[in-house]
Amino acid sequence: MLNVADLDAYYGEAQVLKKVSITVEEGQVAVMLGPNGHGKSTLLKSICGLVKKVQGQIEYKGQSIKGLGSDKLVNMGVIYIAENRELFPNMTVLDNLKLGAYSKNARPFERDNMARVFELFPRLKDRRKQMACTMSGGEAKMLAIARGLMSNADFLCIDEPSLGLQPSLRFEVFSTIKEINKQGKTVLLVEQNIPQITELADKLYIMEEGRITFTGNKDEAVCNDHLKEIFLGL
Amino acid sequence: MSLEIIDVIISGLITGSVYALMAMGLTLIYGVTKAFNFAYGSFYTMGGYIAWLLLVPIAIAGGYFSVFLLAVPLLFGIGYLLEKFLVAPLRKYDDWEVKVMMVTLGLSLFLDNGYMAVFGGRMKSLPTFVSGQIEIGGAVIMTQDLVIFILAVGGMLCFRWILRNTRTGLAVEAVAQNPAGAQIVGIRKEVIFASTFAISTIMVGLGGILLSQKYFVAPVGGGDIMIKSWVVTAFGGMGSVQGSLYAAFILGMLEAMVGWIFGMDYVMISIFVVLLTTLAVRPKGLMGRG
Repeated sequence: MLNVADLDAYYGEAQVLKKVSITVEEGQVAVMLGPNGHGKSTLLKSICGLVKKVQGQIEYKGQSIKGLGSDKLVNMGVIYIAENRELFPNMTVLDNLKLGAYSKNARPFERDNMARVFELFPRLKDRRKQMACTMSGGEAKMLAIARGLMSNADFLCIDEPSLGLQPSLRFEVFSTIKEINKQGKTVLLVEQNIPQITELADKLYIMEEGRITFTGNKDEAVCNDHLKEIFLGL
Repeated sequence: MSLEIIDVIISGLITGSVYALMAMGLTLIYGVTKAFNFAYGSFYTMGGYIAWLLLVPIAIAGGYFSVFLLAVPLLFGIGYLLEKFLVAPLRKYDDWEVKVMMVTLGLSLFLDNGYMAVFGGRMKSLPTFVSGQIEIGGAVIMTQDLVIFILAVGGMLCFRWILRNTRTGLAVEAVAQNPAGAQIVGIRKEVIFASTFAISTIMVGLGGILLSQKYFVAPVGGGDIMIKSWVVTAFGGMGSVQGSLYAAFILGMLEAMVGWIFGMDYVMISIFVVLLTTLAVRPKGLMGRG
């Protein structure tokens, strides 16, 4: 479904990604682990058209999407869900969700998606009239994911969904992502060093200093001594 | 005496309503693009000249009705294109805010001197909407003033409705609150920036049409309006639409009262005294959210 090959990305003069290649099949959950500040978020943003300077190939459903703006990519069904949520603070939960369905592709499904999102996150339904800035960290995270789902995307790029959440909430967010995946969405997820997330992964990548240093499934990862120590904490 | 004060209050309300419309445009553009538009006052004058051109030399059929019908899309187009070709290319620089200030300042000088070259230095007066007056309980209101008030308030309510209830309006608010978030959900910032600039051009241009027939059109008349719109915006709180509404009416009333009691020479001084006092106590203005 998504094919990235030899991708370089830059912020100004600084090269953040170096020849990154990954493949995500339809229906999979691909998880990318790695230390903070090593380019994981940049990869997601590059895919979603939020990084200006990229070189290499990015293909989605067999079509090159490199260099397209986020407006076009959202329309094609690729959405970025930010680690710091990037909500609209002085708007209600409902308006935040409506804006999630801003792209042309999402408009006809706004009503259906709203119902589905409220089913997935009942708490958002209770708080739909509340301003986004008054929500707790966990609720805001859920709103960010829900807003992403409103775009009717098939491919979700989720950036550190557990960031800043206490363990019980992390678990809730992860199981929700699992549920979303079951409903047919493909997920590319970035996390720091969270062992629980490997449970979810069909495919694991490790990124260090802008390069992919490991590719494989869960079992392969567990057998790798270097990984066990550093990333999985086993 | 008691009737005179009613006249003053009415005059304050009318000026206030037009200031509110114009300040709302300035607040909007500052809130969304975070840039100062120094050419704002020149679009006020532009509105006046558009109305004059259509009504006097062209003598268009339909009078003011046709003027509004033509001026709104014309002002939108001018604003949109100016943003797209003059302001937008500056955003790639790190210090683009300063560059936008410089360019719009240049634009205002260009426009004001352009008006002077094309229309000459003499003031133009516009025909009134309607003549006659209405008497309510002994107080006399010019029908024209009433129409100005209704159109200004109506215009504001109209823009407010668009911003609150349409998808585009919601997108404008989204860009104002979080540009990065807006980009993530697929809103094209460039389009919103240009549209916002264009909408604010309509607001101030309409203000120009409304007030110019009460006063006159002159090439440099926009300077005062620019300053007053800024005062209203700063006084009400940068980016707060509600704050600028209160501020506009307070200022309109202040202007009328000071003009009546002390004379027009003291109007500008009193406006700045109130502004500075307010900012000394509340640095973010009446309702600024910072």
